[in-house]
Amino acid sequence: MERRTFLGLGLVALAPVALSAEDWRTTKPNAWTAHEVTPAIEAIFGKVTLVEEGVDVKTPKVASNGGAVPVKIKSKIDAKTVAVFQDVNPESTVAVYTLNDHSIIDFEMSIKMKKSGTISVVVEGKDGKLYVGKKSLEVALGGCEG
Amino acid sequence: MSTMKIKAKAENDVVSAKVMIKHDMLTYDQAKTKGTTANFMTHISAKVGETVVYDMSTSQFLSKNPVLKFKFKNAGFKKGDQLEMTWSDLSGATSTEAKEIKGL
Repeated sequence: MERRTFLGLGLVALAPVALSAEDWRTTKPNAWTAHEVTPAIEAIFGKVTLVEEGVDVKTPKVASNGGAVPVKIKSKIDAKTVAVFQDVNPESTVAVYTLNDHSIIDFEMSIKMKKSGTISVVVEGKDGKLYVGKKSLEVALGGCEG
Repeated sequence: MSTMKIKAKAENDVVSAKVMIKHDMLTYDQAKTKGTTANFMTHISAKVGETVVYDMSTSQFLSKNPVLKFKFKNAGFKKGDQLEMTWSDLSGATSTEAKEIKGL
């Protein structure tokens, strides 16, 4: 009996700990080779029904340098994932954030844009819905030729 | 060699971080033109102690030497706690650097 209890405890200890970190390049490889935004969204989230609200995306109206376009993302949605896409580079997916209880959706990063286009930010809520915010901008000097 | 500039500051219950990472972020197209191999960061994350506070899978379309800003909740962090950033790239290289969070 004691031995059983001991084994039981061992199993509990071995149970996988819920990791907040996820390598989306390994788990969703197709997301990174998709050439269009919609298939990229489908590759990551398995569906493409989007609710257009609650996600705030900010960029300059005209980016002078497409090699480093600042993108600001804000949302108050209680979410587990934030994914960023654009429609002008060879592939669509830019980055995927994995969130946990400590996360606040208030991100900024600098990205490359080959030419003028639209940035879409998809937030996967804990309610299972996909929320999207979009922002179109002009790019004066493309950033992929380097 | 240092590859990162990290700034982190706590205010009320929120920590704001700004990180600049030195990396070429060479895309497949750029690499083709230059006759080399593409290499860009594929994952960037941050921890305070054992607590993950930022986790991001990235593509070739982050800018060269990207600047990242983010915020996270102060989960009872104490004076002296550090924000530890780690990146890894396509070539398999990784780098970890830490900086004390101000204002705790």
